[in-house]
Amino acid sequence: MNADTPALRLSGLRKSFGRPAVDGLDLTVRRGELYALLGPNGAGKTTTLRMVTGLLAPDAGHVEVLGIDLARDPAGAKRGMAYMPDDPLLYGKLKPTEYLEFVAGLWGIRAQDAEPRARHLLDWLDLTKHAHELTEGFSRGMKQKLALAGALIHDPHLLILDEPLTGLDAAAARQVKDLLLSHVERGGTVILTTHILEVAERLAQRIGIIRHGRLIAEGTLAELRDRTRGGSLEDVFLQLTEGQTG
Amino acid sequence: MSAAPGSIRWLLGHELRLAWYGMAGGKRRPRMAGIAIGIAAYAALHAVAFGLLREPDAAAVPDALLVMPLTLLLATCATFMLSRALKACVVALFERGDLDLLLSSPLPSRSIFAVRLLGIAATTVLPYLFLAGPFANVALVLGRPGRLGLYGALAACALLMACAGMLLTLALVRVLGARRTRVVAQVVGAIAGALIFLLTQAFNLTRHDGDATTSLMGLLNGGHRFGPDSPLWLPGRAVLGAPAPLLGAVVLAALAFVLTVGRTHRFFVHGLQQAAGSARVHARPAGALRFRFRASLFDTIVIKEWRLIARDPHLIAQVLLQLVYLAPLFLLILRGDTAGPALGAGITLLCSSLTGSLGWIVISAEDAPDLLLAAPAPQRTLRLAKLAAAAMPPLLLVALPLLWLTVHTPLPGVLTAFTVTAAVLSAGLIVLWVGRPGLRSDFRARGKENFLCSMLELASSLCWGVLGWLLVALATRGEPWMPVACAAVLAAGLGILLLARLLRRRPL
Repeated sequence: MNADTPALRLSGLRKSFGRPAVDGLDLTVRRGELYALLGPNGAGKTTTLRMVTGLLAPDAGHVEVLGIDLARDPAGAKRGMAYMPDDPLLYGKLKPTEYLEFVAGLWGIRAQDAEPRARHLLDWLDLTKHAHELTEGFSRGMKQKLALAGALIHDPHLLILDEPLTGLDAAAARQVKDLLLSHVERGGTVILTTHILEVAERLAQRIGIIRHGRLIAEGTLAELRDRTRGGSLEDVFLQLTEGQTG
Repeated sequence: MSAAPGSIRWLLGHELRLAWYGMAGGKRRPRMAGIAIGIAAYAALHAVAFGLLREPDAAAVPDALLVMPLTLLLATCATFMLSRALKACVVALFERGDLDLLLSSPLPSRSIFAVRLLGIAATTVLPYLFLAGPFANVALVLGRPGRLGLYGALAACALLMACAGMLLTLALVRVLGARRTRVVAQVVGAIAGALIFLLTQAFNLTRHDGDATTSLMGLLNGGHRFGPDSPLWLPGRAVLGAPAPLLGAVVLAALAFVLTVGRTHRFFVHGLQQAAGSARVHARPAGALRFRFRASLFDTIVIKEWRLIARDPHLIAQVLLQLVYLAPLFLLILRGDTAGPALGAGITLLCSSLTGSLGWIVISAEDAPDLLLAAPAPQRTLRLAKLAAAAMPPLLLVALPLLWLTVHTPLPGVLTAFTVTAAVLSAGLIVLWVGRPGLRSDFRARGKENFLCSMLELASSLCWGVLGWLLVALATRGEPWMPVACAAVLAAGLGILLLARLLRRRPL
């Protein structure tokens, strides 16, 4: 695999549920960057991420993950990525240790690799003292952190997160942000959607703004400011999303 | 006139509205078609009641002969009502629904508790009123207005059982704590529901000499201490509308209700608070962190499914109820009636039903389907592992009895093992192929949510059950028509499986 191969390449991606949810989306995310996908409610962000992770089949277009065509080799493409939706994918009747054992099993991780990683993740995310509790008793933040631990147990290159900071308190949000930055510093790639524009402004190297299933603007924060009349990302976002209709 | 907001009448209206929505799975109002079918069934029951009660023989039966069977019938209903009330109390305490909202409002906890208890009683009695009410109505038309006492007797019985269920559940919370109560109360509820069945089976299975019916009828002789005038049959007389017993039943139920509400409404709130924290267990020191990563994906899935089932008391109670019905069959084996065709059919039907239930839990009610889809694991392996997780418990459960049977009567034993295996695999495959995704909490409503799957499961169970009966009968007494019947039923069973495969939503 070439080091120049993008972490994610979408070309002409389309999905319709009666009306178009994603409408010919072209998007490239480079390796080692933290990319924020922004857009108003119903813009098609989650549908895009679900197609990227193989949960939805696109009506048209291609998804390439780390140079692997998702349609041709879904298992190969999935092996290098992890997905965390806004509603954590957990089992209420499992304990964190059991959940991590299960996710490691799904990704076929050997015990000798998985165990130290699981210990490290639980420790890092302050979940070790809760390791023997059922997750159904967890707070939203603890669930989110455990889902993140599950996403990282197989050390994926590409981490795809849908609203990862929703419902987290300040301390938990800080932990998650540190974890994402650390992942990128180690050469990994992160794609996230968020409604908290401050997060995108502070963390993302590039920002894509999507509306009606189309990418309407993309670039660094400075590039986006240049396109509009400047100000904060919130000003830029509102100008771009309210300035274009239909 | 509409009730004042916050009053008991207003709260009761809210409670009944929720129960009404709950009849349609809690997601919407019952559809017009469903209501129309209900009305038609209610009218049909009136027709049946009219047909039975207008017979001169029926009119001539003296009340003295009716009090005993009616008392026994009411006792049977009471056990089912207690079972249902226990389940409803567990739901009220642990699933809470709108209780957090109500208890955070300025409404007195006494009113909230009283209305919830009345709601439990009302939803408990409704099916019985639906089935038995037409007989009282028709009797009224035929000039026996006293029979309307049935309504009062059933309502009093339901209220008593709701109070008993609530007191038992709260007592369990006090003695065992909230976590254990959830399991124990549901198991007790399941056993209470099957109690009458077990007692009748125990009676049938007991070697008793002489005509039991004659002995029972002897009790009704006027001179016997258990004769018609015995206080033992007061509930039966209340059902027939005798004023004093009926008034006694109503007063007793009202007293139980008032005492239960007055004495336990605070403990109910305390129980709710305990239940809210029951999911948590004590944290252990970090050093105790232990993992058991498995090398096989198949094992990982099976262990995960079994863990999820084993930790869900609601599902355990449902499954246990099916196992309770297995008990008389095992008694049959131990008694030595090993060659009975009914045994082959019974074990086959029960294993099929159990697999269907477990299959729905494991396959259709997957908590995190997106996690499985997003993983690079082969989907075929995942599905096979889930099928195995659903099929193995019933097969393991009947393995020993089947071995016992095979050792004592080899041919019937082997034939029963064949039909059990075929039924288990068919039930699992049907759920896998045509089952729709659902939530574990909707376990009891799964039949409504996926009618096609339920019908195919039922038809398949019946086919393999009938085949179990026919094969064992063929092996033991060999009527000439039996081989043809066996072939036809086998073809039907395989045909249902083929139909499920043709209609499949998922591949294997």
